[in-house]
Amino acid sequence: MFAIFNLIAGHPLLTMSLLEFKEVTKSYRKHFWTSRFTAVDELSFRVEEKRIVGFVGPNGAGKTTSIKMLLGLVKPTSGTILLNGRPVSDPKSRVGIAYLSEQPYFYEHLSVWESLEFGYKLMKLPSAARKKEIDRVLETVELTEVAGKRVLELSKGMQQRLSMAQALLGDAHAFIFDEPMSGLDPLGRALFRTIFRSLTERGKSIFFSTHILADIESLCDEIVVLSKGKLVYQGEVDRVLAQGFLGTDIRVSSLDQSLRGQLSDVGCDVSDSSPEESTIFVPKTGDPEWVQKLLFEKGVFCKSITRRNTSLENLLYASSGQESADRNGKKDRS
Amino acid sequence: MNTVFLIARNTFRETVRNKVLYNVLLFAIGIIFLSISFGEWSVFARVQVMQDFGLATMSVAGLLLAVFIGVGMLGREMSRKTLYNVLVKPVPRYQFITGKFAGLLITLALNFGLLSIVFGGTILYMGGSFDSGLIAAITLLLAELSVIISASLLFSTLTTPALAAIFTLGFYVIGHYNDLLELEFMQQQNPLWGFVLKTVYFILPNLEHFNVRSRVVYGMGVGWDFVGMSVLYGALYSLLFLFLASVSMNRKDL
Repeated sequence: MFAIFNLIAGHPLLTMSLLEFKEVTKSYRKHFWTSRFTAVDELSFRVEEKRIVGFVGPNGAGKTTSIKMLLGLVKPTSGTILLNGRPVSDPKSRVGIAYLSEQPYFYEHLSVWESLEFGYKLMKLPSAARKKEIDRVLETVELTEVAGKRVLELSKGMQQRLSMAQALLGDAHAFIFDEPMSGLDPLGRALFRTIFRSLTERGKSIFFSTHILADIESLCDEIVVLSKGKLVYQGEVDRVLAQGFLGTDIRVSSLDQSLRGQLSDVGCDVSDSSPEESTIFVPKTGDPEWVQKLLFEKGVFCKSITRRNTSLENLLYASSGQESADRNGKKDRS
Repeated sequence: MNTVFLIARNTFRETVRNKVLYNVLLFAIGIIFLSISFGEWSVFARVQVMQDFGLATMSVAGLLLAVFIGVGMLGREMSRKTLYNVLVKPVPRYQFITGKFAGLLITLALNFGLLSIVFGGTILYMGGSFDSGLIAAITLLLAELSVIISASLLFSTLTTPALAAIFTLGFYVIGHYNDLLELEFMQQQNPLWGFVLKTVYFILPNLEHFNVRSRVVYGMGVGWDFVGMSVLYGALYSLLFLFLASVSMNRKDL
């Protein structure tokens, strides 16, 4: 009986989607005498629950507009958007959803504590746990010491941390972040990554837009790529990276001429980074295990073995039909 | 209801930390004190001059606060996107508008309370009495303010803060000259212009229903049934404007 229940519950058609865009278009007319500008064009995609999905695209791709439509802040010109299975025009669709915007927007007359208290009360969370919960989130984002300060007195990075604290209040099941790392110093970025991982471990859903592709590689299960308001790609991050796999780099101490000849014969490329160190590039068509075995037999010490990928950036921009700054393959994943 | 109360409380907190409030308040208190010397100019009707002056000052102070704080506040919320703090939560936009309105009305009512104390004190100092007529006049001023605040919120959702401020001032002026509009459209020869004036007359509230200054000053008395009907009239107009502001806000891209 239990097995049958599991089978039914796990069926893809019955899996609850966190959000869904169905042929959504948003066009603006800045002034009545100007022509309409289409920010989002017939956008359709779906994000399942308990996934970490990166929302990627160049500036002006329509990411922020899409997120605003998702939160009911901007109305779509046509199409349907569902959040938590409800149309976004229904405020109840935002129950259990936390949001962090690219720019922190706070009431300047409130202190850090008051801002969090206001957010907590708006969520109608139990008042008995209020102090404990606010203390907890302040500690998580390392802002306990500035709790009494006015928001206005905080730096941009600290305000971004306060935004994160607001998002962490209560126990949201899904997080929508718009460029969450913007304005953060390296320590802040590291802190946010830790928070992301902790949310993932607790089975939360995260949908976030970003320009930082390293974050996508290290944090996301899936990516949605947007360009000029249109969907250009949606899929697993690992699959994107696998598509970009070029080969394997093996860093060794030194190589004699006969070994170089043998490696060259099987299609490997050897380059010397110093008189005592060389790098053997085994193309994806080659067999890195055979090369390692050969080196072991010849008594050559392997210092490191890394995968060489074309960068995610190149792949994404190629799929959107744009030129990236770096079109050459580079090592980006061990 | 709890959400509306929270937004109202936050609005109240924001307004009481706003310098404009204190500037207008000090200005109004200054004018009321100044009315003592104006009263001195009149030989027989010192108290009446002060009453007239004091009530007019309260009306103008209320208008200034509604324009500078009311219009500015919603405009600022939209331009600085601080309303995202509320609207990304499961809060309908009409609750946001209602909360803003309630917060502003509470702030201005407290200000009116303070001004009334100063006003009453000066009247008593000059040998007059703070009678039921004055209480009725102040109650009606507050009802008028409720209409002005709701109208200013409606204008704020429709246009820029600067234009909304101009429209609110225009609304106040036209509202007080609504009786003249009626005379004008009745005498109008041009049917089109007559129709326009008639439409404006019927759409806009007649703010003179809240003005009983002359009756109070000349001791003619104000019936509480009239006060009750006027307050109801103001409440209905406030509700209408809040409804329209909510509809307008609901259609707005933020």
